[in-house]
Amino acid sequence: MDNFFKKHGPKIKTIALIFMLVMPFFLYTAAMHGSSFQVKLFLALMIGTMLLVLKKD
Amino acid sequence: MTDIFIVKWIFALSPILTVLVLMIFRNWSGSRAGAAGWFVSLIIATLFFGAHPELIAYSQMKGVLLSLNVLYIIWAALLLYHVVNETGAIRAIGIGIQRFSGDKAIQILIFGWIFASFLQGVAGYGVPIAVVAPLLVALGFSPVVSVAVPAIGHSWSVTFGSMGASFQALMAVSGLESSYLAPWSATLLGIATFLCGIFAVYVYDGWKMVKHSLLAILIIGTAMAGTQYILSVSGMWTLGGFGASLAGLCSGLAVAKLKIYNQTPPSQAQPEMGLWWALTAYFILIVIVSSGVMIPSVKAFLGQVKLSFEFPEIISLKGWVIRAGKGKAINVFGHGGALLLYSSIMSYFVYLSKGFYKPRAIKTILQKTVKSGVPTSLGIVSMVCFAMIMDHCQMIYILAEGISRVFGSIYPLVAPWIGLLGAFMTGSNTNSNVVFGVLQQETAHLAGLSAALILAAQTTGGALGSMIAPAKILVGCSTVGLAGKEGPVLKTTLRYGLMITGIIGIITALVSFII
Repeated sequence: MDNFFKKHGPKIKTIALIFMLVMPFFLYTAAMHGSSFQVKLFLALMIGTMLLVLKKD
Repeated sequence: MTDIFIVKWIFALSPILTVLVLMIFRNWSGSRAGAAGWFVSLIIATLFFGAHPELIAYSQMKGVLLSLNVLYIIWAALLLYHVVNETGAIRAIGIGIQRFSGDKAIQILIFGWIFASFLQGVAGYGVPIAVVAPLLVALGFSPVVSVAVPAIGHSWSVTFGSMGASFQALMAVSGLESSYLAPWSATLLGIATFLCGIFAVYVYDGWKMVKHSLLAILIIGTAMAGTQYILSVSGMWTLGGFGASLAGLCSGLAVAKLKIYNQTPPSQAQPEMGLWWALTAYFILIVIVSSGVMIPSVKAFLGQVKLSFEFPEIISLKGWVIRAGKGKAINVFGHGGALLLYSSIMSYFVYLSKGFYKPRAIKTILQKTVKSGVPTSLGIVSMVCFAMIMDHCQMIYILAEGISRVFGSIYPLVAPWIGLLGAFMTGSNTNSNVVFGVLQQETAHLAGLSAALILAAQTTGGALGSMIAPAKILVGCSTVGLAGKEGPVLKTTLRYGLMITGIIGIITALVSFII
């Protein structure tokens, strides 16, 4: 796992950035439609993305 | 327990404290510390401040809209810098300046004060220190002086540099217009211009050298501070730092011809590229930004497409209400970032048509832009998003209330220190404004002070924090063989950074008593 992160670190961070920028749009849409389940689902994905950012390079 | 104010205040402070501790004591990058701050704010907001999933969802959307406004400028500025640098133009500009004077004080001022500020105006994010430090070493200055001088010299131009990204962030988080914020920001930063010039020279050779360069500092400083003021209050704040440093370059080159600064013969080195060609991209930038800002028909044409979202009223489980309204709109084609993007594309084709690029240069340009843009962007997005969670759960209001209760009328003295702290911990004036902008605004409101003045002190402190930010010092040290030996440089910049911030705090306090 660590080797994978070392090898693909920069790509993972780029993907994490894209997710961080896109995920709130899904969160917003779900919240506007009153879908509590979708809000929680996208929030979980957002938390996952932040965990990726938290990972040491 | 959370009904006790001090406990609530400490909980509200914990995300900011987390970022501070991780960056200063654990040497974490801005992006990782920002993500950690995001988690802490999420947990604290949910457990103690009544956050619920919908509130988090809306706050994150607002955070991303704010971030996109800042990132648009940052990415386009980085692209322009790499489009220019790939031709060898930055080096050519450096050599071109060197040919004007052999006087050490003038070299320090032109490179460490003006040229570093020029680079801040067009790129930022550590580029001024990274580019100028090796040039100063090549001119015979010690490595510590070579890193410390541009670090101190460029910091006044950070807020309006990088096409005004930090100022844009301040406007975005405070919701205030440039016409309200710019006059005081440009005034305090104008005072900092002179102080940065004086201390940049002082670092090299003490008061004797300051006395020798005083006339030059007065002339060049007036040109730079004056130009920055005029550009920022007239709505062209994206060009504030860049235009000021260009005015500084012109006045600096004129001052270099004065008899007292012309005792030593200048360098005879020949650049590979003419100075005018090297500056072409920046002339294009001036034309495009001026047209986009000053010509009403062009401004109206470019401003037709705006990305905007409506938000409903949001109420936390503790009863804190965020009014319904529109989030920060993004002017897709008329944004400062868009104007920079047009300039980058046009400059690329001009340089390409003149054969200044090596084969496959476009790939290198894009790779370098992505490489430098991603870590900065991750830090900004995570910090803006956690600042928005704090804002939507009353945490920032509680922090502000606590500070205003303790400091009251002497708060203006403290305001620039908060900005400095933010830049020190996050390595960026932009991040400092994002994290502390709303806090300062709320505190000013509660203490009955001018928000424009307090936010000006915030961004000035944030700009000055650039000279002591470990993230930037590390970049500079790595370019002159001081990697792992950053201590002496940080000690030097810390001393002068604290002095200048103290002076700005006193001036802010005096002004707040008058207005």
